[in-house]
Amino acid sequence: MEPSDPNSRTDPYDLSFFKVLIVEDSQFIRSIIASALKAMGINQVFAVHNIAEAKQKLLQYNAAKSSHNIDVVITDWLMPEGDGSELLSWIRSHKIDVIQFLPVIVCSAYTSEDLVNKARNYGATEILVKPVSAQKLANRILYVIDKPRPFIQAPGFFGPDRRRKNEKYIGEERRKTSASDIEEDHEQLE
Amino acid sequence: MNNSSETEKIKIWYRLNFLKMKAGGDLNDESVGYIAPLAVRQAQAVINDQEKHYYDETEALIQNLEQTWSQILESESEADTEILQRIFINYAHNVKDVARTFQYDLMADFGESLYNFCTKMTIRTDAQKAIIEAHLKVIRMTFKTHIKESIGEQAEELKSLLKIAIEKHLQ
Repeated sequence: MEPSDPNSRTDPYDLSFFKVLIVEDSQFIRSIIASALKAMGINQVFAVHNIAEAKQKLLQYNAAKSSHNIDVVITDWLMPEGDGSELLSWIRSHKIDVIQFLPVIVCSAYTSEDLVNKARNYGATEILVKPVSAQKLANRILYVIDKPRPFIQAPGFFGPDRRRKNEKYIGEERRKTSASDIEEDHEQLE
Repeated sequence: MNNSSETEKIKIWYRLNFLKMKAGGDLNDESVGYIAPLAVRQAQAVINDQEKHYYDETEALIQNLEQTWSQILESESEADTEILQRIFINYAHNVKDVARTFQYDLMADFGESLYNFCTKMTIRTDAQKAIIEAHLKVIRMTFKTHIKESIGEQAEELKSLLKIAIEKHLQ
């Protein structure tokens, strides 16, 4: 999608330095997603078939902050050797912050309200509904780049704010924390 | 995860947007960006091009489904059956995923129906087994006849075969 308002950039993003990890048990779907991302200009795409390999890759590339870090994880939700919730729990509870705060796009063909809530409650950044298309992949990646949300640690939850900044929240207000109970951490340039 | 009222302390992390910088923007740049439309079109062309592998891929998945089903029927251990059933469910899931990616809607619908049926229960009774076999039969027939859409005379006939089998064995 090209820019249509004055706040839009004039040049497209250059994704050539991005590193993306795909976790998907189907070799065929894995290779489709990887090829599509490469065609979009992402030079380094790692594709693994289970959660154990995903953890290994993340430990290998994200053990410390560097330009070699994996930037985005795209994971299937339903896999035979552990589902997406297991990987999200591991990522969101990790002590290394370049793993803990990673954007994670959950890719699933089953988008019941239950699954979407579950994925968000486990700390998913975005949900991509299968079947995979180039436009859906592009949209999710753009969301991750353009609309990052602050991370919230609350009782029973750690992950990106489940309420989007630009959307008015409708529903029962469950947040009853007073300002004095909120601690803020603003990341600084090193 | 907890959805109840939250009165305890919370912490909010505001992270620097290094991804924006990596993509060619500035850290504090709040403008909305885009991916070159040509690159997105090329990516879609790459996806579409993979359709040539659809039949080989689906044939392999159906064979895996059928072999795993035979193993489930022969299995004498509850633990083995559960493992095999998980594998079986995963193949059904992949049949659906691959078919949906290339708009083979009838195959995707049957794969999804099989997946949904298997995830709800451990397959033990003859009636449950008959329903699984009816699914395998229509999946194989859909594959052989190359029916793509979920509408039309042949598609309706296969859907009806499955529906009759399900109703018969669920009674």
